[in-house]
Amino acid sequence: MIAIIAWRNVWRNKGRSLVVIGAMIIGIWAMAFGGGFMQSFLTSYIESSIRHETSNGQVHHPKFTEDYDIQFSIEDYPSILTFLQQTESVESVTTRSLVNGMISSSRQATGVKIIGVNPKEEALVTELNTLISDGAYFEGISSNPVLIGNKLAEKLKVNVKSKVVLTFQDIDGNITAGRFRVAGILKASSLAISESSAYVLKSDMNRLLNIGDNVHEIAFTTISGTDDEALANTLQAKFPNDKVESWKEISPALVFMEQWMAATLKILIIIIMSALAFGIINTMLMAVLERIRELGMLMALGMKRVKVFLMIMLETIYLATVGGPVGLLIGYATIAYLGKTGIDLTDYSKGLEAIGYDSILYPMLQPMDYMQIVIGVITTAFLASIYPAWKAIKLKPIDALHTI
Amino acid sequence: MSTIIKAINVSKVYHKTTIPVHAVNQLSLSIEEGEFTAIVGPSGCGKTTLLNILGGLDQPTEGRVEVDGTDISIMKDSELIDFRLRNIGFVFQAYNLIPVLTALENVEFIMLLQKRGKKERHDRAMELLERMDIADKANSKPSQLSGGQQQRVAVARALASKPRFILADEPTANLDSSSTNNLLDLMAKMNEEQKATFIFSTHDQRVMDKARRIVTLEDGTIVSDVKR
Repeated sequence: MIAIIAWRNVWRNKGRSLVVIGAMIIGIWAMAFGGGFMQSFLTSYIESSIRHETSNGQVHHPKFTEDYDIQFSIEDYPSILTFLQQTESVESVTTRSLVNGMISSSRQATGVKIIGVNPKEEALVTELNTLISDGAYFEGISSNPVLIGNKLAEKLKVNVKSKVVLTFQDIDGNITAGRFRVAGILKASSLAISESSAYVLKSDMNRLLNIGDNVHEIAFTTISGTDDEALANTLQAKFPNDKVESWKEISPALVFMEQWMAATLKILIIIIMSALAFGIINTMLMAVLERIRELGMLMALGMKRVKVFLMIMLETIYLATVGGPVGLLIGYATIAYLGKTGIDLTDYSKGLEAIGYDSILYPMLQPMDYMQIVIGVITTAFLASIYPAWKAIKLKPIDALHTI
Repeated sequence: MSTIIKAINVSKVYHKTTIPVHAVNQLSLSIEEGEFTAIVGPSGCGKTTLLNILGGLDQPTEGRVEVDGTDISIMKDSELIDFRLRNIGFVFQAYNLIPVLTALENVEFIMLLQKRGKKERHDRAMELLERMDIADKANSKPSQLSGGQQQRVAVARALASKPRFILADEPTANLDSSSTNNLLDLMAKMNEEQKATFIFSTHDQRVMDKARRIVTLEDGTIVSDVKR
């Protein structure tokens, strides 16, 4: 009967209970939506970085990444390539030659990372071809085509078919230069691509570097759900003379960002939960204070304090039980809908792309995230009910009975 | 008849640290089983304080109260709650029914706290409501009942736990004449039929007329104790 009394007590003051249930619904929805939105930001950034920059994993000569010395090519790269091509979880693989050098136009010169690629393989791994905003993907130029980012093009004041000169040291330490013609302009949210990279054909690059068929980098993508770190470890064990890294090792900034987002989300949840907790405390305290005489009467008749405590806690938990699922359902529906249609932030696209985000975001939450919200709400309701319930059992029946 | 309550040299002093007020002063009183007693006196004479002490809701500053030979003045709070549940029925001036429960549920509630079975609870609650002439309102909430009807439910609730005695603090103060007479007749009937022991605090002459013993208080002490 205590459960029945608690349930009916919740609805004694319908308006007040509905306000607190409404606050719960909005709070939970805000948590779900906020979490999903932030998750989409993070996923968009990480996926974009993996897709266009780091790939899921890379292989280098152990000394190459220290200072990009072109002498350190990957040992026995055909074996690694074959192994990766035969691995089920690997989606696509490409090889690259890399060198740091200068790019100059008739107006400007700047430092640049020059990447020699095989266009077909590169398109499969990084979808570089999809980033072309002007010109064509290594087409329309008969010899020495180069792709550069839109920001670099602006800086150099060049357009499609403009001439640029790439200058760098060859394998023997001699300064060498090649005249290239811009085949296409790349537009990417990644600053590395749009500002400081130049893509040329690997064959052109290797000829100028005088390194034969050697490659400095193997990049591979994996199918969704692959444990990239485990795959990198397997590969490393098989080819100990080279250095295999997953995207987490290649770009610690992405890992930091993942952790930073998780921390921000936690702070957001704590803020919303705290607001919710104070709302619950306020409501339940009011409910206790206006029922002092009644609570005193219950204890006078012989109702144990622990049962009074339980009754007040049950009232709070009932509020959460009504508000929680509704808020969660609305949150789930919002995320499910926006996860399909996406949130169009085109109005802010310039700013977003400048810092590496896509302008359309697709909110998403994992089942575990929903579970965390549910646990969070129940815990908050439970903790928030303790003070009003404690206040109720601290009443002395004799004093409470004489309260007007 | 056996003695149910024995108050021995009971005193209650409020505001001991500032100006002391002796609400009850060196009072001794015995209540026998089956009595229908009214404690009367002017406002502030200590009626309610005495009832609270007899009912284990308040502790005396001095002296002791024994119920069936057990000293309840030295009981811990948790022991007193259980003691009240098993031994004492309460009827309050403001009825104090649980507003979210029906009349039937209100009467059943006290038996639920005593962990009695569902059928027993229901049967006894219905029987008491019938005896109190309010069975037709069994499924009504307190807000749907008049003051007199609510007080009859409160008496049924007090009787439901089969207490050793019932304390009623000015039970007719908020009732009109007709409801008062009706309630008093029903309580007198319960006293006779079920040998229920009633102790009232009142300054209602109609209650005094029905009482078979009148204890008059003044300044916290008994100035007369008349049995009729």
